[in-house]
Amino acid sequence: MSYKLDWAPIWNNRDLIIEGFVTTVELSALGLVLALAIGVIVGTAGSTNSRILRSGSAAYVELMRNTPLLVHMYIWYVALAFLQLPPFMCAVFGLALYSGAYVAEIVRSGIGAVPQGQRLVALATGLTSAQALLLVVYPQALRMVTPSLASICSQLIKDSSLASVITVAELTYQASAIEGQTFRTFEVYITISLLYLLMVTIVTYGLLLVPGARDDLEQRVSDA
Amino acid sequence: MPEVILKNLPFLLMGLRLTAEIAFVSIIGGTVLGVLVGVVRYFRVPVLAQVADIYIIFVRGTPLLVVLFICYFGFPTLLGYQASAYYAAVLGFILFIAAYLAEDMRAGLRTVRPGLVQAALATGLARAQVIRLVVLPIALRNVIPTFFNQYVRLFKFTSVASVIGVNELTGSAMLVNGREFAPIPIIGFIALTYLVCCFVISMVGRLLYSRLAVRA
Amino acid sequence: MGAFRFLSAVSAMVAIVAATVAATAQTSQGTIVKIKERGKLLAGVKLDTPPFGFLDDKNEPAGFDIDLVRKVGARIGVPVELVKVTSPTRIPMLVSGNVDLVAASMTHTRERDRVIDFSITYYTGGQSLLVAKASTINGVKDLAGKQVGVQQGTTLEKNIAAAAPTAKVVAFRDYNSAWLALAQGRVEALTGSLNILQGFMKDNQNFKIVGDLFSVEPFGIGIRQGDSDLRDEINVVLQDLWTSGEYTMLYRKWFNADPTIPIEVWP
Repeated sequence: MSYKLDWAPIWNNRDLIIEGFVTTVELSALGLVLALAIGVIVGTAGSTNSRILRSGSAAYVELMRNTPLLVHMYIWYVALAFLQLPPFMCAVFGLALYSGAYVAEIVRSGIGAVPQGQRLVALATGLTSAQALLLVVYPQALRMVTPSLASICSQLIKDSSLASVITVAELTYQASAIEGQTFRTFEVYITISLLYLLMVTIVTYGLLLVPGARDDLEQRVSDA
Repeated sequence: MPEVILKNLPFLLMGLRLTAEIAFVSIIGGTVLGVLVGVVRYFRVPVLAQVADIYIIFVRGTPLLVVLFICYFGFPTLLGYQASAYYAAVLGFILFIAAYLAEDMRAGLRTVRPGLVQAALATGLARAQVIRLVVLPIALRNVIPTFFNQYVRLFKFTSVASVIGVNELTGSAMLVNGREFAPIPIIGFIALTYLVCCFVISMVGRLLYSRLAVRA
Repeated sequence: MGAFRFLSAVSAMVAIVAATVAATAQTSQGTIVKIKERGKLLAGVKLDTPPFGFLDDKNEPAGFDIDLVRKVGARIGVPVELVKVTSPTRIPMLVSGNVDLVAASMTHTRERDRVIDFSITYYTGGQSLLVAKASTINGVKDLAGKQVGVQQGTTLEKNIAAAAPTAKVVAFRDYNSAWLALAQGRVEALTGSLNILQGFMKDNQNFKIVGDLFSVEPFGIGIRQGDSDLRDEINVVLQDLWTSGEYTMLYRKWFNADPTIPIEVWP
């Protein structure tokens, strides 16, 4: 083994790594917010009585989920290049549409798991349909699906690394840049995988703060 | 079908064939490794279980692209061995998917009723035999849906191999696009292809499950 | 305890095998002997960088670098297997032993020489800018504040950052993506070796090359550090190609011009 581990060049380039880390966080946060919004809308549509809405929701989920995330990003960055969206937004949209499909499935099953009686009783007390949904059904559904949402969130953070391919200067991109100049291939990629691990761990355990989510969290966090 | 697709169809189909190859080998390898690791963790085999814990925590917290980079750039340079992009990708996929399958396997093992295990032990079978003849067959049949979910996921993930230079479907498509400049039909074509293939894999999984699943 | 014993036996076997494999030291056989034993020369080449290494109309590999490695293979007496590399992957592939040599429009730099060895210079290029025909950019100075595409992990990246410090450098994993980005207007200029840019321009008249060459790029074929016998063989092949005139023929074939800088020939 003639390769000697040398961590100094990594430390020397720490400002690049920090920049990349921040960009990853920004990318993931924006992508997550959008994915949640899309997922709630599509998921709720999937749990209604209207056949049109349900098929629409299913079609969206199947179409988005079965297209690889890299292809999603290429669609926004290459195929729709005439829109001239900045690479960062292309990555955000790709992540949002893709993860949104997973969120939609979770939301749909979460709403379905809330006993029908809850909604009926809420309506009986005089709440409108929308209020029943918002104030009674959603909170209960949320508590049940929090572990799955946590795993989608972790997955999204890891998926953000693909944005490096469409030139978003997030963590993986910076790692490749450092590697190109210092040739410290092993050290730089181990470093960033530890950083991703850190982010994912923070997210997974951060969600323990959601009331009622603690039960069975570790056992039920399985990836989408 | 658009002319640009027809003209390059042989090249793209070769890419699809490579995708299928990589997916197939990685699925087999990943399943074997995943089941092994899952069993090791469930029964808390000393030493191996701790190694498995570290492996799973590390791989499940790392993006696939980074795992591929480590397998393609990191390991060969560090350990001084030869590996083409194809083999590095397969290794990366196996290591990656096995970590997720191992967790699903562990969950699946939990679904086997302890009463069944005790009954089997009571008939005089040794512990190892009980695992091999009773627990594993039931657990494996029950995890088929979750496993096939991961298989579909892996099939989609083969597209990431294009980043380290493997000319599978996505890589071939982008190469063709570099010359033809027709991104919409080309990317549309591969998106559709992935859709159809993932659908087929899910269907196979559903069929297997309906035939093989052990009803409670 | 059956399961436990079985599993510990398996793990013991795995450990022994792993130890054996790890203990097998790299033999210091000459590389050429190894290549002949293997029966083929593994050559790392680019497949997205015309005219050095690219896919032609029939999707077959072709190019100046590829022709050169075929000559080397012919001299050693083995067929050549072309392995695709990109700028970020070419040196790691060589160092790890995945390829025996790398002919991938690679500039010989001092920093790289610390990690690998190089043949004598087989091509001298310069860095230049490719822009759309309608662009107002005329040189490196006009890049201030604009987006410039470059391939990640190349000398070009550092050069453009030095030559145009206020430009926004966007790095791509391969030339294909960088070229696509320019064509789609995502970057306003693409920087690369002159001949690579000319290669892109050949089929696309909507672009022009502007500005003076702002760096000198001597290309060398990469070999692993210390592989002297292979390096010597490559150097002899290059010199023989020059003296026989074949080099000039190849140069004209791919660059539509005569070579201006001769290959050094040792007596």
